[in-house]
Formats: sequence, C-alpha cells, structure tokens
Amino acid sequence: MTDLGIGIESVETGGRGAFRMFLRNKAAVAGLVVFTFVVLVTIFGPGIYGVEAHKMAAGPFLGPGDDAGPLLGTDYLGRDILAGVITGGRTTLFVAAVAGAMAMGLGLVVGSLAGYFGGWVDALLMRFTEIFQAMPSLLFSLVLIYLLGPGTWKETLAIGITLWALPARLTRAEFLRLREMEFVKASRAIGCSDLRIMTRTILPNAMPPLLVAATLLVVIAVLFHAGLAFLGMVDINTISWGSIMGKNKGYALTAWWTVAFPGLAIVTTGLSIALIGDGLQDAFNPKLRGR
Amino acid sequence: MNTVFKRWIKIITLLAALSLFSAACGSSDSDSSSDSSSDSSSSAAASDDEPAAASDDEPEAASDDEPEAEEEEATEEEAAPQPKHGGTIVIATTQVGANVNHGVNSGIGIAQPSSKIFAALTHLDNNWEPQPYLAESWEVSDDSLTITFHLVAGATFHDGAPITSADVKFSIEVIQANHPFTGMWGPLESIDTPDDLTVVLHLATPHPALWIATSDVMMPVMPKHIMDDGTPINEMRGHPNNGAGAIGSGPFRLTEYQNTQKIVLERYEDFFIPDRPYLDTIIYVIVPDEDATMLGLESGEYDSGGYASVINAEKVSNNPDLVAIPDLLGGVGSLNHLQFNMANSIMSDLRVRQAIAYTIDRDYVINTLHQGQTIELLGGIHPSSPFYNEDVERYDVNLDKARSLLYDAGYPDGLDLRINYIPGPNEQQRNVAEYIALALGEVGIRVEVVQAADLPSWAGIFFGGPDAWHMTMNAYFNWGDPVIGVQRAYVCANIRPGVFVNNSAYCNEKVDELLYAAAAEPDVAKRKALYDEFQVITAIELPFYGINALPIFGANQLYVRNQPDGAWGPLSGFENVWLDK
Repeated sequence: MTDLGIGIESVETGGRGAFRMFLRNKAAVAGLVVFTFVVLVTIFGPGIYGVEAHKMAAGPFLGPGDDAGPLLGTDYLGRDILAGVITGGRTTLFVAAVAGAMAMGLGLVVGSLAGYFGGWVDALLMRFTEIFQAMPSLLFSLVLIYLLGPGTWKETLAIGITLWALPARLTRAEFLRLREMEFVKASRAIGCSDLRIMTRTILPNAMPPLLVAATLLVVIAVLFHAGLAFLGMVDINTISWGSIMGKNKGYALTAWWTVAFPGLAIVTTGLSIALIGDGLQDAFNPKLRGR
Repeated sequence: MNTVFKRWIKIITLLAALSLFSAACGSSDSDSSSDSSSDSSSSAAASDDEPAAASDDEPEAASDDEPEAEEEEATEEEAAPQPKHGGTIVIATTQVGANVNHGVNSGIGIAQPSSKIFAALTHLDNNWEPQPYLAESWEVSDDSLTITFHLVAGATFHDGAPITSADVKFSIEVIQANHPFTGMWGPLESIDTPDDLTVVLHLATPHPALWIATSDVMMPVMPKHIMDDGTPINEMRGHPNNGAGAIGSGPFRLTEYQNTQKIVLERYEDFFIPDRPYLDTIIYVIVPDEDATMLGLESGEYDSGGYASVINAEKVSNNPDLVAIPDLLGGVGSLNHLQFNMANSIMSDLRVRQAIAYTIDRDYVINTLHQGQTIELLGGIHPSSPFYNEDVERYDVNLDKARSLLYDAGYPDGLDLRINYIPGPNEQQRNVAEYIALALGEVGIRVEVVQAADLPSWAGIFFGGPDAWHMTMNAYFNWGDPVIGVQRAYVCANIRPGVFVNNSAYCNEKVDELLYAAAAEPDVAKRKALYDEFQVITAIELPFYGINALPIFGANQLYVRNQPDGAWGPLSGFENVWLDK
C-alpha cells in the first residue's frame, strides 16, 4: 500500500498547503464568502422572505423604493422582483451545478480513458470530442432545447452535453502526463488493475487543474442558462434569473429594475465562482507557493 | 441621492447585460458584441431622461391630447410642400405573414404587403364610404341586389397584361373559396362580365358589408392568366403567385421576399393612376421585438412602425421627432379574447368554461395590466361598432361559484390545462395569459403557459387535433362589419382547419340563424336586434371569453406625408405616400 500512498500523500500535503495559499488570496476568499451567501440565500431565502415569486404581490411596474410595492419593485404582472431573484437562484444554480457536474463527469470518463489507454481508443474518443468542440456551444444548446422542448431537466441536459469537451481534453492531457510517472509505473509493476490505477493513482494527482476547470464550467453553465432564458428558450413557467430578465427585456428601458437585479445576481454569482476558481488555480500552482 | 443611486444601478445593469451578451456570443466575435453593446448604451442614454416611474404618468394625456395636436400640426405643414417623387420608406413590423396575398389568407403580416402589391376595386375613406380605385365608377340598383362596376381603362398587371373584368371575377371566386372570412361574399349569386371593363354582381339579399369586401386589402385583384393554371380554385392558398415573384395589380411590385426577415417592394412604373406612386421603394423589416422597433424609430433607422404596448405609446407621444398614429388600423377593430377549444373533451363542458370565466378578473387586466388604456370587451363585436351589445352575461369574479362548477363537472381536485398565446404583443397576449394562469391557480386549475416562437408556430395548434390545445389567447379582428370579422368565428359552416376561422368548434343553430339573418338585413335597427341576441347567447355559452378591445398604435417620422388615414390606414395602397426630406 505504501506505493499508492506516495500519490495520495502528495496530494494531501499539497492540499493542506494549497488551502493555506487559498486563504492568503483575499479575492478568492471574498468570492467564497459571496458564493456561500448566494447559496444560503437561495436555499433558505424563499422560506424566510415568505413571498411567492410567481404570484402577483402588488401593482405592475412599481419601482424599488415605491411605498406601495416591495423593496426591489415589481414586474409587468406585479410579481415581486426580490422574491423572483431569491427563488430564481434555485433553478439557475441547480441547472448550473448539475450541468457542470454532468459535463465534468462525462469529460472525466472520456478524457481518462483516452489519456490512459492511448492508441486507437485515444484517437477515436478525441475525434468524437472534436466534433463537439467544433460546434458553437450556445447554438448547440439552443438546437437541443428546440428538439427536447423546455423543462428544467432538459435544459440541464442541453447545457451539460455541450460543455464536456473542455474537461475531456484537460483530463486526457493530465492522464497522458501522469501515466509515465514513476509512481504510476510502480503501481503497475505490483499488478494493480487499470481501473485502480486510473481512479486511485492518477486521478487524485490530476485533480487540481480539473477542480479549477470545474469552477469555470459552472460559471459557463450559469451564463448559458441565463442566455438561453434571455432568448426565451426555457420554460416560461419556471422562475430563474435569466427567465426574469428575458420576460422583462421589453421593459428594460422603462422599468430597469426588472432586469437589473436578476442581472446583478448573475454577475455576482458568476464573478464569485470565477474568483474561487482563480484562487484555486494559484493555490495549486507550486511555483507560486511561498511567494 | 436617489437619482445617483438609480444611475449607479443603471450602470450595473448595462454591465450585466454586456457580460451576458458577450458570454452568450462566446469569445470568438468580440467585434460584433462590442458593436451592439455600444448601440444599446447609446439608446439607453437617449432614454436616460425618461423617468423610471413612467408608468405612474397619466395615460390619458398620451392617448388623447398629444396625437391630436400633432396631427393638426402635420396637416398644416402638409398644405405647403408639394408631394415629390422618390425615396425609400422602411417600415418595421412585428408581424410575419405566411404569404403576400390577402385574398387567400388573413393577417396583418399578409395584409401589409398585399395591399401594396394588389389593387382593389375601391378605397374606403375616413367615413367608410367607397372611393374609386381600380373601379372608376359604379351603379347600385334600386333593390340593392345588382351592383355594376366600371374598371379603369388601360390598367395592367406587373407583367404588362391588361386587368380585365375576368380577372376581377376570378379574384372574387378565389377569395370566396380560400379566404377565412366566408361572410364577406356570402349573398353573392353570380358575376357577369358583359365586357372587359364591366363587372356586374348579382346578390341574393342586400349585403351592407359589400363595400368593405370590395375595398383595399379585402379585394386583391389577382392575375387570372397566371393563377388559373389548373390549380383547383380552393387550393389557391398554395399557389406560387402568393409568394416570391408574385405578379400583382397594385402600385408596387414585389422584388424581394424573405418571409421572416424583409419584404422589398418597388414602384410599378405603369400603375394605372398617372404619376403615382410617389415612393420608389417600400421595405418591410420584420422586427420580432416591439422594443427593437421603438429603438429603431427613435434612432431614425425606421421611417414607420407599429407597436401595441401601452408603455411605448407613451414614449412616442413624448418624442417630438415622431408622429403618433393614434389607432394604426382605423376601425379594423382588434378583439383580445380567451378562446376555448370546444372540440376538446375537457373544454367542451360548459361548466369548465364558466368556472374559468368566473375566475378571471377582466377589470384587473384592463385597469392594472393595461393601465386603463384598453376597453372592456363583453359582447363578441368590437365596442366601437354600432352593433356592440354590452348588456350580456359578464361572469363577474366569483371564486366559490367557480369551484362548485368544477366540482359538478367532475373535477373536485382541480385539473391541468394549457394556455397558448400569440407571440409578439406581450401586453395583450403573454402577460394576460400568464395572469390567467395565476388566477386559475386560485380555484385549483393548474395551467401551463405554452410559448411559441412566432405566429405560424402558434397557429400550428389549430392543425393538431382536439387535444392540441385547451385554450388560447387570441385576437380576432372585426374587419369593419360583423359579417366579415365576427361571423366567421361562430358559424358551424366555418369549423375547419385554418387560422382565424371557427377554431372554437362552436356550433349553435340558433346563433347561425341570427348571424345569417343579420347579414342580409338592410334595416340597421333590426340588424342590431339580431346581433344583440347573438351576443347574449355567445356570452353565456363561452366559445370566447372577451377581455378587451385594443388600440393598435403606430408611429411615423415627421417627414412621412400622406399616411393613409382611411379605415384601412397602412393596410391600403400607399400610392399617395411621399417623403418630405
């Protein structure tokens, strides 16, 4: 077991050091705090605020600060924008997280197989990946939603499927690099199965860049979902940040608050995740350690 | 302090929009994204002085006072300059039509180009009186049963072939066989063509709606020598002369036809009215988004445009560079209502429809969602018509009654329904549909709002069988006379696949009797009594639940002259329109 320990141990010491590095990065910590806040608000916010986002709360087009209306104003039907932003986050974050995980998972499987086995497996899988890479992702998502029809799970699928090429290539590159390392050769020499080497020996060491990529994927998924919703391609009956903006875009110039606040939520969330990813990248990079 | 805060929020919004946009477009085309973002920021700057609380302003000021004042101004100026030839008018429209021949289909998107490409027998003036157009004169017999039209001599189609009485006869036959407005030519018995320039119509009964049926957009005169090529008369809807390359009889030729993007029309040199038209080119740009229409009007990109939203009406009346057209379509009369699919097993139950009617608050839609700018619709005829009856069942809000009706109908646990709506005029259609979905939730009817990308895909529900839809927001237009615009939606004979026919599949012999009697009744008072009774019955039986009548607003740049202001407004020939620039 000691030979396996080499790899895992190196990650753990790396992990501890990386965490210290991460904490030293103020922007990353700020991102983490903001993101935690966003997640907590979307989980507990609707219960605490107590206003149902899809119901009419007051008259239409009441501005923020209007005494008759809620804090952040109302949209064209008189729905509470604040309630919409709080509740809409659930859909947006759910779609982003699941689509991100889906893309990551698919990318890991394809990339690790290609990178580890090489040869014709690699050639076949990479040509397949290139097909997906060659297609413009947002348009591809649009077409998928057009074919599948709107609905939260279908939207998630449509976004997840278009994004897996990036982690696949990244995983392959990492596996190609690591499979010739001494400790991998050692594992092979003592007769570990391919699956065990892939999952227990190589993967933990390939994790740092993949984690960074995962944060990036989530940001892209948030923006993709918002973009699709803005174009009116998602379920009109489900509230998400993008759908609030999309439905109100006709009133953007006269009732700015209807698009400003959900837009702000998207920007804040996207930025915070990106900052976390940035911090992770710095933290995992040994060259920056001890700077 | 407050304004500083708002400005700050605006900057953030712009940033947010920008980042969304660039994310949506990917990193590859940074050029185009920066272009469009600078566009949107300049337009935001243009409307910067627009107060955020625009919706609080008094709406009456916008609809009544301002446009009148501007109109007077316009007519004063019109007296001075002489009309001049040349120029291109760019008209923005949200409406997409299936073709360019209003003789085989109905719809604003079709009527706009059709009225320029095809000439009619008559024009309809401001007082709804017929004026000479392709027919230079006409006689009506004493019993009102024979009408003789004399055509202009020397008129030609766009391919140079002469326009003869045979073409007029053929056109009327095509319209009869294909157009959804079956009432338009109902009492027509036969058409005689004693010579090339004379058309004699023989009617079975007096037909007051005839002068609408022969006017402008309703009577496109089509080329018999091209269209009568063996295509069965009732399948003319699919004839190639309705699309690209169409040969017409009107002041403008169709030169470019991209159904969902733009339609280009050019001056027909040999038009039968000498020295007309003034314009060289008309370009219809299809702009799916009403707000983009507004931005284009404000920036001067478009010379003319139509829009339907209350907020935009207010914007135009506050803009000194634009002339508001208070009601773009004169008396066309657009009805906004909820239509039920009575061919569907759930919706065929009157109690379900009544439960829905008892739940919807019409006053909320008109006074809150439409800020009081639209008019309540109770009967099935446009409120501006002399035949409108408001003394009908109103179904005032009564949630308990709605629940018990649902219980009786066998839905104690509520039911699941879908509501469709016409994409485009959001305030009239989508917003109301969303409101209805919310309101019905109160009585346990769970409603899914179904969106469609454009008008043709919305209309697809009418070809999908009895379960393709439950209810839809719909907008039938009155088209001048109940015989044309109303009758088609109620008579049993008009239950067929199609759009703006009797899509409710409503059939009541008594209603048929009343409508056919009213269509042939020359006495106005008796006619009104018949239409009154028709509206009482249909308001109870609910093939439609009336919500509101809506004004359709429009705007021109100051230099657009002689905008036709007759009953058909922009849906007429445009041969007199000219640009003062």
